[in-house]
Amino acid sequence: MKKNRLLALGLASALTLGLLAGCGGKPSAPGSTSGTGGDKSNSGAKPAGGVELTVVTSYGGDDGNRSNYENAVASYEAATGNKIMDASGTSNEEWKAKVLTDFQTGTEPDVLFFFTSSDAEPIIQAGKVVDIATIRATYPDYADNMRDSMLAVASDGKNYAIPSSGFWENMFVNTKVLSDCGVAVPGPDYTWDQFLADCETIKAKGYAPIACSLFEVPHYWFEFCIMNNGTLGEQLAIPGSATDAVGQKWAAGLNDIKDLYEKGYFPVNTLTATDAETVQLFAEGEAAFLIDGSWKINYFVDNYGDQLSDYAISYVPAKGERKASEAIGGISMGYFITKKAWDDPAKQAAAVEFVKHMTSDDVMSTFVTTEVTALKNGASPSGLNPLQQAAADANASITGVIGPVQDTITSESRTDLFANVQNVVTGKMSAEDAVASALALN
Amino acid sequence: MGPTLYRKKAPLIAFLLPAFVFLILFLYYPFIQNIINSFSDITGLGAPAQGLNTPWYANYATLFTDPKLRTALGNTVLLTICTVIFQVGIALILALLVDSIRVGAQLFRTLYFFPIVISATALGLMFNLIFLYNGGMLNQLLTNLGFAAENIDWKDPDHFLFTMFAPVMWQYVGFYFVILVTGLNNISQDLYEAAALDGCTGLNRVRYVTLPLLRNVLCTCLVLAITGSLKVFDLPWVMFGAGMPQDQGWLTGTYMYDQTFNRGNVDYGSAIAILIVVLGVLFSNIANRVFKPRNDI
Repeated sequence: MKKNRLLALGLASALTLGLLAGCGGKPSAPGSTSGTGGDKSNSGAKPAGGVELTVVTSYGGDDGNRSNYENAVASYEAATGNKIMDASGTSNEEWKAKVLTDFQTGTEPDVLFFFTSSDAEPIIQAGKVVDIATIRATYPDYADNMRDSMLAVASDGKNYAIPSSGFWENMFVNTKVLSDCGVAVPGPDYTWDQFLADCETIKAKGYAPIACSLFEVPHYWFEFCIMNNGTLGEQLAIPGSATDAVGQKWAAGLNDIKDLYEKGYFPVNTLTATDAETVQLFAEGEAAFLIDGSWKINYFVDNYGDQLSDYAISYVPAKGERKASEAIGGISMGYFITKKAWDDPAKQAAAVEFVKHMTSDDVMSTFVTTEVTALKNGASPSGLNPLQQAAADANASITGVIGPVQDTITSESRTDLFANVQNVVTGKMSAEDAVASALALN
Repeated sequence: MGPTLYRKKAPLIAFLLPAFVFLILFLYYPFIQNIINSFSDITGLGAPAQGLNTPWYANYATLFTDPKLRTALGNTVLLTICTVIFQVGIALILALLVDSIRVGAQLFRTLYFFPIVISATALGLMFNLIFLYNGGMLNQLLTNLGFAAENIDWKDPDHFLFTMFAPVMWQYVGFYFVILVTGLNNISQDLYEAAALDGCTGLNRVRYVTLPLLRNVLCTCLVLAITGSLKVFDLPWVMFGAGMPQDQGWLTGTYMYDQTFNRGNVDYGSAIAILIVVLGVLFSNIANRVFKPRNDI
């Protein structure tokens, strides 16, 4: 009897202690992992002498550089014996919010590849990432292959991220569709009126003129449409209100998108389709124009490698003072080392080595083909495929590049603005109200 | 030994303690904190509160004026009604049919229960492919068989309710099916034989013998279905994301998630969570009263 009681109490105590032990707030042991990727804090699974690093990047999903990233990670693991717990995702507003939430809840990764714009300010201001000067005090050769003048400067005047490859945003065209419609591939003098006329012709032929999901990724068209209602130099101006000059420019840009929607130039399901669906529409020859970024080239190489000659890089039609040869671009992402990894003696060197490896000339040359780079020696891509060559040709005629204005507003403001594009184009909300709503959250 | 053990309460309390501590830590403490959060000004998950809102009940006032929340509530109530009619209704019909066959009953049980073991994310992706506009299974079938002249946008304002609700119904039919089949198995064959001697067969047997004896099990299913439908989140989120189409597709669960995680409006998300809890308690109480199990069965 006594035995049973003791057994019962013992079991209950073990259960209670086990439960409370799970709630303990002690940091994980050096070498174990913590973070976002469903990884395990099991030191037993750790390779002998190796370090496990949790890494979050935007090279997840169907990112065009996914295979380059995997190869680079594999070569780092082979060279160091360390293990990378990859928790990468696909870059969108939800992903950005999740990354920031991980930092706020103390489950940040050891190394983060993230936007260097206002998106990173919350983690910088919270002291969650380490600035480059501090890292160089211990590791003097950290990022010494990069041009310091091209490192992103945070609001406190310090540099935190080692830039990876840059990007450009421009218009992809499906040459097969254009040819079938008797429409010429647009040149650097392409005007908005010509574009509208071409869209009408393409639509009459039964194709969708523009491949775009206004539900998921209206931001490419937003950037160019507001530039069309202003100038390249004014692109980064933020409205003080929906009624001032910049606010009116934003509203006019939104109304241009509405005009395209009302004319039926977007896919029928543009308000319910995902980005992947509309890109596929373009890739498979059912849509003519697609505004996207340099990262999309590898998507076509990976998925439509045998028909790359069907695509070309062209220019986004211009109106007003803007020239079609002016585009969006720059370097907006880079590698951060988190304070958590830096303060962990077992992880510090491994994290530094990982970033140095990922931003080395050799690795960067597998990512950079036609994009801007901060490498002192430049990138040495090995041969360009037809689409990359088309991009290089188009870039040769680019007369001006500016960063996206969406990177300068808060995540909440941006989410609200782009979520309301569908309401603007369907007439449920005026463009001015959409701008005012977004500014209220900035 | 048994009676002695239960006369002394200490061991029982010791066994109850872990679960009690667990609930305090992971249910009641977060719940109380959530109530406090709903009155506070919080701009990011994990970020400290910037004091109380001005006025302190601002979020609750917003609940009454927020058109998206109104949409979410409307859709959720509709989903609850559909759940009762279709989920439990179809499960009942299937259970009655399977109960009346002798060969293959076990096979059907497994087949109908199978959707429960598949993750909602996987189901969402599968149904996305079925309802895809270009090349989706349903559109291909309809156009190739001549039932539709052109593709249908199954997620547009005219079709989204069907597209959202059908997979949710389909996913949980098997769950209620298994409960009801178990209930049917507990009905004694003697009763059916006696009814048959009285000339009660076919639908009359179902009407006058099966359903009255199944009442308590059916009531449990209805209460579970109603309270469960208030918490539906995963499948609609995977298929529709943030309010598709044009802010008409919100459910209370998806709207709360969007406000909290995507928009950083944590305090308002907390207020919506409180509303969901209040509705859950209210609905389950009503359901319990309406479908009160009878002890005389």
